[in-house]
Amino acid sequence: MTIQRFLEWLAASPVANAMNGPEWAFPVVESLHFIGFAFLIGTIAIVDLRLLGLTLRRQPSRQLQADLAPWTLAGVAIMLTTGPMMFSADAVRYYVNPSFRIKMMCLATALVYNFTVDQCVGSGAHDRVRVKLCLSFRSASGFRKPT
Amino acid sequence: MSTAIREGALLYPIIGGIHLLAIALFGGMVLASDVRMLGWGLRNESVTDLIEQFRGWKWLGGLVVAITGLLLAWCEPIKLYHSPSFWVKMILFALVGVHAVFFRRSVYRNTEAIDRAPGMPPVAKLAAALSLLLWVGIVLSGRLIAFDS
Repeated sequence: MTIQRFLEWLAASPVANAMNGPEWAFPVVESLHFIGFAFLIGTIAIVDLRLLGLTLRRQPSRQLQADLAPWTLAGVAIMLTTGPMMFSADAVRYYVNPSFRIKMMCLATALVYNFTVDQCVGSGAHDRVRVKLCLSFRSASGFRKPT
Repeated sequence: MSTAIREGALLYPIIGGIHLLAIALFGGMVLASDVRMLGWGLRNESVTDLIEQFRGWKWLGGLVVAITGLLLAWCEPIKLYHSPSFWVKMILFALVGVHAVFFRRSVYRNTEAIDRAPGMPPVAKLAAALSLLLWVGIVLSGRLIAFDS
């Protein structure tokens, strides 16, 4: 299946139809995406601030990371569900958008980084920079549901 | 300045991006504190540590969210004035303030007693549950502004 056919299939899928159906569908899914965002990036930020020695210094960082891990994972799950749902609402336009592509590359990098390097080493300072990069591009794609 | 933010190709997304990053910082810490007080996790961390250590960061994050949010609202004052969701969001913000004042003595400045208590006091659970509801409501009403117009 080529990318073009995949995008067309996605745009005609029941999820895409639901997303483009009632006007409140997109904002509601977007809200869930934001809440997942707070879980994911927020908990990573707490661990990174800890690794930088800027908060919760009485807790060992490893333990803090372990305790926050279920919430970080919940954030990932919410975002990776709601994200593709929003993508399906206007798949072709997102696919050709340069900022969207940069966002996806940064996201992949940030996820791989967070769940590999950052899990093993004691210094996750770089992670913050990468997540920030990813996010600024996210906003640069400035996408809204087409009206 | 309103036109500069609205019509500049990059300004709006950049301010929006900073707004989101500050939400992640602020929201993540609110979530962590609420999760702890609801007894859903983070049991190795004391309520006192979470509340006291996050206080400065929450203020910083909240301040950045408020300033960037104001700048974003400045772009479309008329649209927002006519949007019911925007007013719901503002009312919920006011309620966040009421929440903070209301639970200040019993919860947020009383964490050492909460940590000493055998179980999580109901008032702390209530404060956390209301906090979660308020923030979910704020996100939802914010996103529904687009639905109003």
